[in-house]
Amino acid sequence: MEQARILAVDDETMFLEPLVQRLKIRNYDARGVRTGEDALAYLEENPDTEVVLLDMKLPGMSGIQTLEAIKKRSPLTEVIILTGHASLEAGKKGLRLGAYDFLLKPVKLAEILEKIEGARARRNSRYQDGIYMK
Amino acid sequence: MNTIESGKEEGKRAAAPRARFFKKTMLISVAAALIPLYALGASIYFYFLSSYQKKTLEDTRKLAESRANAIHIYLTERTTLLKVLAGQTTLLECARPGALDEKLELLNEGTRSFIDLGAIDREGSQAAYSGPYPLAGRNYRDAPWFQDTLCQGVHVSDVFLGYRGVPHIVIAIRQGKDPSPWVLRATLDSEVLSGLVRFAQMGETGDAYLVNTEGVFQTPPRFEGAVLKESGILPKRVPPGVSVTYRWNAAGEKRLTAYAWLPKEKWLLVVDQDAREGLPLLATARTIELSILTLGSLVIVLTLFVLNRMVIRQLGDAERDRAALDSELAHSSRLAALGRMAAGVAHEINNPLAAIGEIAGLMDDLMDEDFVEKAPSGPMYKEEIGKIISLVERAGEITRRMLGFARRMEPKMEVVDPNLVVKETVSFLEKEAYYRQIEITLDLDPAIPRIRTDRSQLQQVFLNILNNAIDAVQENGHVLVSSRAEGQTVAVVFKDDGPGMDAATLSRVFDPFFTTKQPGQGTGLGLSISHSIMEKLGGGLSASSEPGQGAVFTVRLPVSHSL
Repeated sequence: MEQARILAVDDETMFLEPLVQRLKIRNYDARGVRTGEDALAYLEENPDTEVVLLDMKLPGMSGIQTLEAIKKRSPLTEVIILTGHASLEAGKKGLRLGAYDFLLKPVKLAEILEKIEGARARRNSRYQDGIYMK
Repeated sequence: MNTIESGKEEGKRAAAPRARFFKKTMLISVAAALIPLYALGASIYFYFLSSYQKKTLEDTRKLAESRANAIHIYLTERTTLLKVLAGQTTLLECARPGALDEKLELLNEGTRSFIDLGAIDREGSQAAYSGPYPLAGRNYRDAPWFQDTLCQGVHVSDVFLGYRGVPHIVIAIRQGKDPSPWVLRATLDSEVLSGLVRFAQMGETGDAYLVNTEGVFQTPPRFEGAVLKESGILPKRVPPGVSVTYRWNAAGEKRLTAYAWLPKEKWLLVVDQDAREGLPLLATARTIELSILTLGSLVIVLTLFVLNRMVIRQLGDAERDRAALDSELAHSSRLAALGRMAAGVAHEINNPLAAIGEIAGLMDDLMDEDFVEKAPSGPMYKEEIGKIISLVERAGEITRRMLGFARRMEPKMEVVDPNLVVKETVSFLEKEAYYRQIEITLDLDPAIPRIRTDRSQLQQVFLNILNNAIDAVQENGHVLVSSRAEGQTVAVVFKDDGPGMDAATLSRVFDPFFTTKQPGQGTGLGLSISHSIMEKLGGGLSASSEPGQGAVFTVRLPVSHSL
């Protein structure tokens, strides 16, 4: 079975690298980038990326701007906001812009995996319904 | 110790302006009330004094005038009687023995004012006499009154001693025509005249007497002097008619004196009294007025004192209320600042915490079963890494709670499990209860429905009630928090075994600013705010208690809002 492609976006490499490693161990095609711009470039090259784990506080493009850009270019890609700088307003705004869910660091990997699977299920359901087929 | 002293100083500083304000308002209000009162009192008194003096002058004047008229009428009547008698007789007839006695008897019918009666021929020789004195045959040819009578026809004399040596008045009438006129002469008892004058001697100091044009007493004065002595009055200076004036006598006393001329008789009636005679009445009026003024002033000052005290007390209460409100606002703002700080700290800690968690998780992932079994201390590594992960989770819980505290500042309706809110609130106070050896027991019904409400406000209510309960119970005290469904409501009950409250305290327990805590320990707003929050949330907050039986606070939440 083809591995699900996951992208994690976080400027904290000490968090990003072990997370990506742990996802790979769990059989995901996981990649990590440190900025919103890098994330958009990666998604350009890999439009089949299913889920993006996105931090809110990023250098350059902010998390919200990155989310908007992702949803504009590849609406099928699900985004899970994963941040230590939680605020209700930012969370609400993220969900309004199409994020699948909002997770506050530190969070157990099991919870992240659960949300990834939930997001993938929603993506697949939309894909099959052809909502976003052009 | 310092705090208490500085508190006292602050109290003194707050009391000083209030005392000054009290003095100032008292001074102004007392002045505003008493100045018109005393001005009114003074004007009434002086009006009364002036009216009284005018009335006294008028009364004295009228008395003098009426007495003078009475004396004049009396003398005129006597003169007329004598004229009528003289007109009805002749000298010859008078000379008949016993004739004058009959006539004198006739004259004195009714009033015994005539002493004697004599008929005198043109030569001045008394032809006939009836009376008690041996005056028959006396000759009056050279007496001034005789000559005057012959000339004027009628003569009323001043009081004089004459041949008889006692004061008397002569009324003489000329009768018959020239060349043989004769004179009918009668002597009036001057005592009768004195009696008429004495009627005008009023009160304790009043005097009345007649003086002739030379100022010689014609009737005896009441106090000093005697008939035919100098009176000291100068009649020539007295204006005609009736007049009233104040004068000073020889003893230096102020006298109120009325003068009334008897024009025909050329006598002056003098009526006088001590000017202070009416003073006792004035003094009584003054005493009554001063008593009313003093009593009125006392009532006014007392009333103003009480009113001003009330105003000052209310101002003080308002100041205290404002201070309490300020303190509550400051407290809220400190809480908000603390919330923001807590959120900032939580955010900063979350990122490294998440990194630690992921690194530890990766290490755990990398330790396969083979490694754990074969590597030296492999199981120990696995166990310690497990501890790191567990500690990261615990720290994460703490930062989440801090964020939750910060978030309570924002009102939000959400679906809430009341039991969870109770547990979370109790967890905030667990440490404090532990240190004070207070046991908080939970008896929560897991079957109660979840409800839609503002979680943070509900938590604030629970926190206020629990804080009060912890403050109320002693060491080793108990607080029981239970929850149950009651028809269409969920009830959360907080029961403590503290000292309880009497009915009076219980009735005011939800009043704003009502507190039984020491000053500075409580604002008296907690339960009041809680009560209004519960009303706003569509529920209610009630309390029941008895002294010595602890207190029970019940929060009721409507299930109609449940989801």
